This record gives sequence, C-alpha cells and structure tokens, in this order.
Amino acid sequence: MKKIGIILVISIFSFGSAMAQLVKVDQEVFGMDCAPCAYGLERGLKKMGGLGSIKVSLNDGKAYLTLSPDNKLTLQKIQEEVKNNGFSARRAEVVLTGELCKSEGTWQIKVNDETFQVTSDTTREIIRSLNPGIIKARLLIKDKSDRELSGTWEARIEEIM
Amino acid sequence: MKQTIIIIIVAMMALSKTYAQGHGPLFGLQTPTLAKGGVDFNAAAMSLATKDDQSFMLRYIWSYGVTEDLQLNITTPTLINRLSEAPRTRGNSNMPANGDIEASVWYRFFSNAFGVGKRFESTAILSVSTPTEDTRGGINVSNSLHGAISTGYASRTWYAWVGGGYQYYLEESNDQLGDLPYASLVVGYRPNIFMGDYPKPDWRVFVESLAEFPGASVNAGQISPIDQRGKKVMLGPSFLGLYGAWGISFGALFPVYQDIVQGPQERYRLSMNISYWL
Repeated sequence: MKKIGIILVISIFSFGSAMAQLVKVDQEVFGMDCAPCAYGLERGLKKMGGLGSIKVSLNDGKAYLTLSPDNKLTLQKIQEEVKNNGFSARRAEVVLTGELCKSEGTWQIKVNDETFQVTSDTTREIIRSLNPGIIKARLLIKDKSDRELSGTWEARIEEIM
Repeated sequence: MKQTIIIIIVAMMALSKTYAQGHGPLFGLQTPTLAKGGVDFNAAAMSLATKDDQSFMLRYIWSYGVTEDLQLNITTPTLINRLSEAPRTRGNSNMPANGDIEASVWYRFFSNAFGVGKRFESTAILSVSTPTEDTRGGINVSNSLHGAISTGYASRTWYAWVGGGYQYYLEESNDQLGDLPYASLVVGYRPNIFMGDYPKPDWRVFVESLAEFPGASVNAGQISPIDQRGKKVMLGPSFLGLYGAWGISFGALFPVYQDIVQGPQERYRLSMNISYWL
C-alpha cells in the first residue's frame, strides 16, 4: 500500500512537471524600428530552441511565440534575448500550464523554475475559482526593468482555460 | 597582417551567437550598435570629386557586437584611384574617406527605448587609423586618432541624429596633417508606403549634413603661413533599404559652402554601401 502511494505521488509529480510549461508568449518589445532589428531578434529567439513558431512585428512592437510541446523555455530567457538585441522587453501576454499553489496568502503558478505571482487586480471571479493543482491560464505579465530580470514575475490572470 | 585579419574575422564568426541591427545614415554620425554577439559585414564604394580629380575607393568593414552597447569595427580600403591632393574629411562614422585602415570602438552609453519602435540613444566612438600611403597632398601622413559622439532619436517614421567628432594626426618626419573637427546632422523619414511590417522590405530616406573645419598642416616643421581653419558644409540625400539580413544604402553630398584654406575644393561625394548581418 505504501509502495503504491509512493508510485502514485511520483507519477503525479512527474505528470505535473511535464505539464508545466509556457505554451504561448506575446512579448512586447520597445525600441525595435527596422527590418534588421526584427530579423536579428527573430534569429536570436529561434536559436534558443523550444519554439514551434515565431512572428516578429515591427508595427505592433511584439514578438509572437508559440512554444513546442516539450519546451523548457523561460520568460526570463526570452526577455534576456530581447535585451541582448539592444531593445527593451516590456509587458508580455503568456499562455502557460503550471502548478498552482498558495504561499503566504498569495497564489503562485510555478513553471520551469519560474514563479508567476498572481496580483490582486485579477478579478474576484477568477480568484474564487482557483484551486491548487495544475492550471492552464492566460496571464498578463507586468513590466519589469531589463536590469532586474529574474525568475519571479507579477501576473494578472486574464482567463482560465 | 593579412593573416591577422583573417584570424580576427574567423574568431568573430566563431563567436557569433545572435545577430543584429546597425543601420543609419551613409555619411553622418549615428548611434545604433550591433546585438550582443552580432556580426555585420559592409562593402562600400566611395568616390570624392574635386575640381581636377576624382577618387574611387572600395571599403570593407567588419563589425562585432561585444555586448548590445559595445561594438568593435575594422575597416580596410582598396584604392582604385587615389587623389594626389585629397581634402581632409571622413567617410562616415566608421570609415575614413582617405586610404586609412581604421579600427574603432563604439560605446552606446545611453539608451532609452520608450515606445513601440521608439528610442533615444547616445554613442561614443574612438578610432585609431593608419595610412596606406606615405604622403597626402605633399605632407607626410601618419597615424591618427579619431573621437566622436552622437545622440539621436529613432522611430518607425522619423529619425534624427546630431553629433560631432575630431580627428588628430600625429607628426611624421617633421610634417603633420592638420586636425579635423566636424559636426554632423541627419534627419531621416520613412514614408507611409514603406510602413509594411517585417519581413517586407524597409526603405527610408535621409537628408545628411556635415560641417568640417580642417586645420592647417605643418610642412617641414613650418605651419602654413595662413594659419586658419577651412570651413566646409556638405548637404545631400541618402537612401537606405533593408530586407532581412541585407541592407543597401546610397547617396551623395554636395558642398553648399566652402572656404578652403589648404587643399582642393570639393564638387561632390558619392557612396554606396551593402551590408550583411551574419
């Protein structure tokens, strides 16, 4: 019985880890004004691996990334690549699958060693519907200074999917 | 020397990780630097016409982005026709107009990307040059130092850069070419018709202006009897087209004011540049 319990726990944990990943990222990029800028950013992001598709729009000032099913990419890595190209990474809209838990009264979603802290401007309806476990959601990630990039983000949940 | 350059180029290519931007006016000072690890190759054809003569030169520039704010450049010339008496001027931010080999460092010390496609930035340039000829206009020519600073605004529609620079020639066998302070002003515009999104071709037009104030040269230890600076203002259009990793620019500058103390008067400068971001 004990063995079955352990196997069950490990299985659930493995399933959770495999599921926790970024699915889609629409990254706002400031300062990108020309075709070689977009070309450079596109190639730089492609080099990271883990991308299904990418589209860079100069007029929108955005990089639209769809990630491959088994990717290990982090938002921090994506934003660092934007910075290395000489631009500023601002807000991002992210679709992700992650492990939702509550820590010190704050809901958090953990994905690939990154933590998305759910902010209080998330609607009450969404907050009320949250339950610990695996969640798929669309988040609006708040802007963070390019010099202070880390694996912790403040995010408003826009939609639970 | 050739081997050293090949080694540098190969090393830069091996280090290349990401790619880049670095695009701007043809003659004037600019601010954009390459991405971290970015490599850019430029081949330029340049011509400078004086009253009696015309130079033709090819130039090759390799640039490497050490970081997104620090860029190294090296440029070498192939002279097809050298002016016997060359005006003292520069080709552009990282190109001497005469037959010098030049290595430069660009440092973008300020950058503020404050909107979609918009940014303010400032860049400082420090270069060292060595000539490929012994004399220029009858004066023994030596190595020189060049420093410049520029600041500018870039957006999807408008561009503007303003800056100034200074070139100082060292003494060579009792001769010394006069120094060259200069100022640069560039305004750029991308018409609506070229606002198509990436990966469509991206064109823009610039109006470029250079003001140059060449100082008197020293010949056989004697400064020119007329110890005063020349004054020259050049103005003209240039065009820049970008598509993916490729860029082409071409343009001309014409004198709108010339008060030359030493050397010939200029009629025009032409330049065409092809860039490839590796």
